[in-house]
Amino acid sequence: MQLKPLFTGILLCLLAISAQAQYNPLHIPDTISGTTFNLNMRDTFVQFRTGNQTITAGINGTFWGPTLIFNQGDSVHMNVHNYLNDTTTLHWHGMHLPAVMDGGPHQTIPTGTVWQPYWKVTNNAATFWYHPHLHMKTEMQLLQGLGGFIIVRDPVEAALALPRTYGVDDIPLALTSRSFDVNNAFTNTSPYGDYMLVNGTMSPQVSLPKQFVRLRLLNVELERGYNFGFSDNRTFWVIGNDGGLLDAPVPLTRTKLLPGERVEILVNLGADAVGSSIDLKAFNSGQPFGFPGSEPGTSGPFGSLLNNVDFNILHINVAAATTGAITTLPTTLVSNTYWTAADATVTRTMNVTQGTPGPGGLPFSLDNTPFVLGTINKTVNLNAIEKWTLTNNNVFGHSFHIHDIEFKIISRSTGPVNSYESGWKDTYYIGVNETVSFVAKFTDYADALHPFMYHCHIAPHEDGGMMGQFVVVDKTSVAQTEIEPGDYTIYPNPANTRLYVTLSDPAMQVYYITITNSIGRTMYMLPRPQLAGGIDISRFAPGNYFMQLTDEATKKVLTKKFVKE
Amino acid sequence: MSLMSFSTINNRVVSDFSLKDINGKYVALKDYPEAKGFVILFICNHCPFANLYYSRMNELNTKYTKMGVPLLAISSSDTVNFEDDTYGMMQQKAKEEHFNFPFLYDNMQDVARDFNAQKTPHAYVIWKEKGKWIVKYNGAVDDNGAHAELVQHHYLADAIDQLLAGKEVAVNETRSIGCQIGFRNK
Repeated sequence: MQLKPLFTGILLCLLAISAQAQYNPLHIPDTISGTTFNLNMRDTFVQFRTGNQTITAGINGTFWGPTLIFNQGDSVHMNVHNYLNDTTTLHWHGMHLPAVMDGGPHQTIPTGTVWQPYWKVTNNAATFWYHPHLHMKTEMQLLQGLGGFIIVRDPVEAALALPRTYGVDDIPLALTSRSFDVNNAFTNTSPYGDYMLVNGTMSPQVSLPKQFVRLRLLNVELERGYNFGFSDNRTFWVIGNDGGLLDAPVPLTRTKLLPGERVEILVNLGADAVGSSIDLKAFNSGQPFGFPGSEPGTSGPFGSLLNNVDFNILHINVAAATTGAITTLPTTLVSNTYWTAADATVTRTMNVTQGTPGPGGLPFSLDNTPFVLGTINKTVNLNAIEKWTLTNNNVFGHSFHIHDIEFKIISRSTGPVNSYESGWKDTYYIGVNETVSFVAKFTDYADALHPFMYHCHIAPHEDGGMMGQFVVVDKTSVAQTEIEPGDYTIYPNPANTRLYVTLSDPAMQVYYITITNSIGRTMYMLPRPQLAGGIDISRFAPGNYFMQLTDEATKKVLTKKFVKE
Repeated sequence: MSLMSFSTINNRVVSDFSLKDINGKYVALKDYPEAKGFVILFICNHCPFANLYYSRMNELNTKYTKMGVPLLAISSSDTVNFEDDTYGMMQQKAKEEHFNFPFLYDNMQDVARDFNAQKTPHAYVIWKEKGKWIVKYNGAVDDNGAHAELVQHHYLADAIDQLLAGKEVAVNETRSIGCQIGFRNK
């Protein structure tokens, strides 16, 4: 074909131009709003570098998924379809929800399955995220690019004069890095990548308006921590932590952000000339050993070109102000009422253990108890206020995360709790030779079967067993010792588009429904399904199917067969 | 991550097989008595990276069938989990993409196991020696999936050319890049 050489020539020219350009436009993830969220997890590929494409995994895309916008008070329904070649899970990091909806290691989604968790959004306005949490495969699945932001909005935040035009003056920034082999495939020989990626963009730049701008930073590294600031050392203001806004903006020139943590900052570009630029940078040189990424080597098991150096995160070009620009810094934000140590009726202590370096060394653990999927490590009473204290007299820093709740850090043995981490948190950094305590209340969701996790959010540590699990139990509920499991019928049978379930006893509650086809594929996993409208089976191929219904009270599984016409 | 153990594949003898093509006809290596060798390409419908190679596969088949090295494409995907890879969907794909090569249904995944195929696409060149089929090349088709016009190394075609010229294959193994083939437990 005659056109082909011309086309090839144009492509080569374009590639040559892009190779000369220093920066690539920052990818701003699409948003999904409303109350139903369809998330499709797939194997795919991205052109990160010149040459071959890199195999990745995406959610509704190629690397790093859409931003989900939740409104506080809404019930959100997720349709998570796993088209990956492997089982996975999807955890809603920071969300307060029932454990059976949490997407931890127990809520596995086999290949080809739709998982439909739902919950009422009770979290305050803040930046959350979702990501795979399959035990021993979290690192690999994060590496592939699976994850995305969640932004919760609420009336209190909406009433404040803060930037909130997504992608204009309110920018989500997911920070990570990757290394590539000679074929441009991702490698994780070291958990520290050689090349910075923000929202999946290498060497990103963005135009931001000449006014106050809100940046929502999330560390999605496998291991590296960030000590970030701006190239001209300007002051910025922390306005929000993992779980909500602070009482007032906290001025800083540097702050740390460890894997799993989020921070919302305001930066004032109002005095910058249009056309000028500044860089958001990681000032990671000179961090003490134990800060993840402080290791000196550029290669080897913990090596990286970005270790122990300062490097650019995002190149910012200042553009004209927008109409309705935020030009003043709020003096106060929200009025938080935090739990204190005096509120706690239960005190727990844990130690970082093992993690012996060198060949044959044991991976890190908590209290010398590596994670076992079938072992519940702690039982928490519903509505208990507890103080958890973690001591790290060990060789390396960690990023501790707990599911279900947001907590208040009440003490650090190394000094006062930093003002920039004074808000609601679900993840915190604990350095070497440090003890940190937090207080939290475990409200709303009791479930003696499905546990919540607590773990180090450094993926190799978590996969290595630095994780435990707790159940929240309601001891005030009436003991039902002699209860018989209920029964149910399904109709119509055969069915075509929707299948309805009739429970034998109106008091009966459904804990779980799983539908499998006749060759053993799991079609649907429906935690505590809302059955009034029936179950949509329109996309099923004709054939025989099995419904396994788990009774809430007895956890007995009752199986029925049905035919799809 | 399980990396392919390169050393165990090349120069191995692979068994003949009999797999159903999209027209319902069973295809075996022995059906091609004149063939000097074959290109065996493991692909599947659901993998976007494998989908990039269809026109290149047609071109390879056109060129090398004339020289006694026909191309056979095999789908060994786990059809329990991937509806896109079921037999009916294979038929549809072959029609839509105008496949000029046999597209074979390895429903039990036995052939992929025999070849130790890891990814889609995963390319093999097998050559007839003393009545046996010997693996001479395995890995990638080339070094650019999305942009055929930017390919620098035609690994698969180079291997066939060298074998046709009676030479040893210079680069006989590369890393196959694509979607992992998920094997069902047997």
